[in-house]
Amino acid sequence: MNQYQLNIKADDKQVVLERILQVARYRGFLISGITASVNTGTNIGVIELMVRSERSIDLLVDQINKLIDIKEVTVDNSASQECSA
Amino acid sequence: MASEQKHTGGSLLFSVLQEHGVKHVFGYPGGAIMPIYDALYDSEVEHFLCRHEQGAAFSAVGYARASGKVGVCLATSGPGATNLITGLADALADSIPVVAITGQVPTGAMGSDAFQEIDVFGLSLACTKHSFQVTDINDLARVLHKAFAIALEGRQGPVLVDIPKDIQLAEITTTLEDVSKLRNKVKLPPVDVGHAISLLSHAKKPVLYVGGGVGMANAVDELRTFAKTTNLPSVSTLKGLGAIDPEDENYLGMLGMHGTKAANLAVQECDLLIAVGARFDDRVTGKLDEFAPNAKIIHFDIDTAEINKRRFADAAILGDLKVNLPALAIPLAIDDWLASCQDSKITNAWRYDHPGENIYAPAVLNEISQKMPKNTCVTTDVGQHQMWAAQHMLFNDPTNFLSSGGMGTMGFGLPAAIGAQVSRPTDCVIAVTGDGSFMMNVQELSTIKRFQLPVKILLIDNAKLGMVRQWQDLFFNGRLSETDLSDNPDFIMLATAFDIKAKEITKKSEVSEAVAEMLDHNGPYLLKIKIDAQDNVWPLVPPNTANDKMMESI
Repeated sequence: MNQYQLNIKADDKQVVLERILQVARYRGFLISGITASVNTGTNIGVIELMVRSERSIDLLVDQINKLIDIKEVTVDNSASQECSA
Repeated sequence: MASEQKHTGGSLLFSVLQEHGVKHVFGYPGGAIMPIYDALYDSEVEHFLCRHEQGAAFSAVGYARASGKVGVCLATSGPGATNLITGLADALADSIPVVAITGQVPTGAMGSDAFQEIDVFGLSLACTKHSFQVTDINDLARVLHKAFAIALEGRQGPVLVDIPKDIQLAEITTTLEDVSKLRNKVKLPPVDVGHAISLLSHAKKPVLYVGGGVGMANAVDELRTFAKTTNLPSVSTLKGLGAIDPEDENYLGMLGMHGTKAANLAVQECDLLIAVGARFDDRVTGKLDEFAPNAKIIHFDIDTAEINKRRFADAAILGDLKVNLPALAIPLAIDDWLASCQDSKITNAWRYDHPGENIYAPAVLNEISQKMPKNTCVTTDVGQHQMWAAQHMLFNDPTNFLSSGGMGTMGFGLPAAIGAQVSRPTDCVIAVTGDGSFMMNVQELSTIKRFQLPVKILLIDNAKLGMVRQWQDLFFNGRLSETDLSDNPDFIMLATAFDIKAKEITKKSEVSEAVAEMLDHNGPYLLKIKIDAQDNVWPLVPPNTANDKMMESI
């Protein structure tokens, strides 16, 4: 089981957070932490998502990237790690 | 220059639909969508009243798949909206552009468990490409334009727009947007075909694996030119049928669980698999670890997320097939491999000399395929009849074979045929169905009656849920659990009750005349053929088994 941190930038649109969480769950990733904020000037949301899974993180990155309101998804390698949980 | 016009939300909806060229919609009215149906009264858009919202959704899917246009369906809030869900899931699984409009309780009542209120916006997250809920009349036109753009751009799919009743009633003065300025905004990295060309030119046993993405990309001509230039042997997925010319001598048929022996053996033996608009679905690959075990992969797709999802791609070609296929069209020297594939095709060709007097469904489907008009559109439901149709009928374009591939939805065939017939009123449309599937949306016979749609229905009746029965016999020790349908209604009486001419045949000797009568009939027609309940679909690759280990009989 590996733990990853995704840094996601998204337009501040309806239910964008629900969409991200639904995709993460459906694609086989357990959510172990989340922080989210919105820049009210740009209407861009920044979401840090901690997930755990035995699956490749590329699978989740590609699927979140497909969501219409997503601007960017990156994996923060410094915060990602292999764990035994 | 367009002038400002006064609209209600309802009338604005139909104006925007017309801006996008929508002439036909499928739906069912109800309380929370009444202002939209009131605006429909004055609209030029033609509405087809279905008898269940699921029928409306599948008709929109059939319309889209048969025509290449966006299918549109309407439903009210609550149960109307939830009844659309299966159709939207089907459209998502098969990448079909549909725009679904749902009525919603007024914004002030939302979240209060109001009568016929359901959070369809929430429900839509897992079964649409995208969805919207309009809470400001000033957003309505922009959202609707965006819904059409999203449904069509990149990998196509369904989009839901939920409109509360007060937004439908609200008034606005606005100028309609010029839809010609709406552009496909999919961004993809630049394509490097160098490695793919190297793989192609060094391959000794390459195979072309064609999926539904070819038809969705409107790239049938480019694919056929590619196949002709490279001279590649080809195989097709269920949804890819019709993309390759079925008369092409290098075409080996459908691959996968019920694929032809020649197709599956070629793929298992190949050293290079060129996947075009295909996604290595589990019904195609069988045991994934043993699928095409010696092959490198070139993967063409519009969807980045499909690359490396189920099988690593040695070369990924992302983007528009119409542009990318010609870039790899180089002649190949693979004569020995081609000859081997062609020999296998001849050796393993279908046989129709079925013994006895009972009707053999594959032979009937093959006969219909030979006799039906050239541009006939065939829809299927899901089960044994679906696989027999895919195996034994030939289609010259993907828009002529509509089958629920990804979702495998029983009840798809009849309403999809209605949508196809509405979109192509002068073409022959045949719904091939089974007695289990037919009953799932049988109410749509009423839609056929109301609009006098000349849909032909071939009902293959074994008084069983045939495919489940087959699996129970093969893999569950013959314990036949809830697959007996011997108490089916009298289908001839049923069709007749909807003013649909109907006939039943039970013997092989009656087939030719009955098929001719069905095809020659001007209006709707139901032909029921009684088959042996023990007939199975062969070949069959058992679950979690490599595709070259198919069963060919019990």
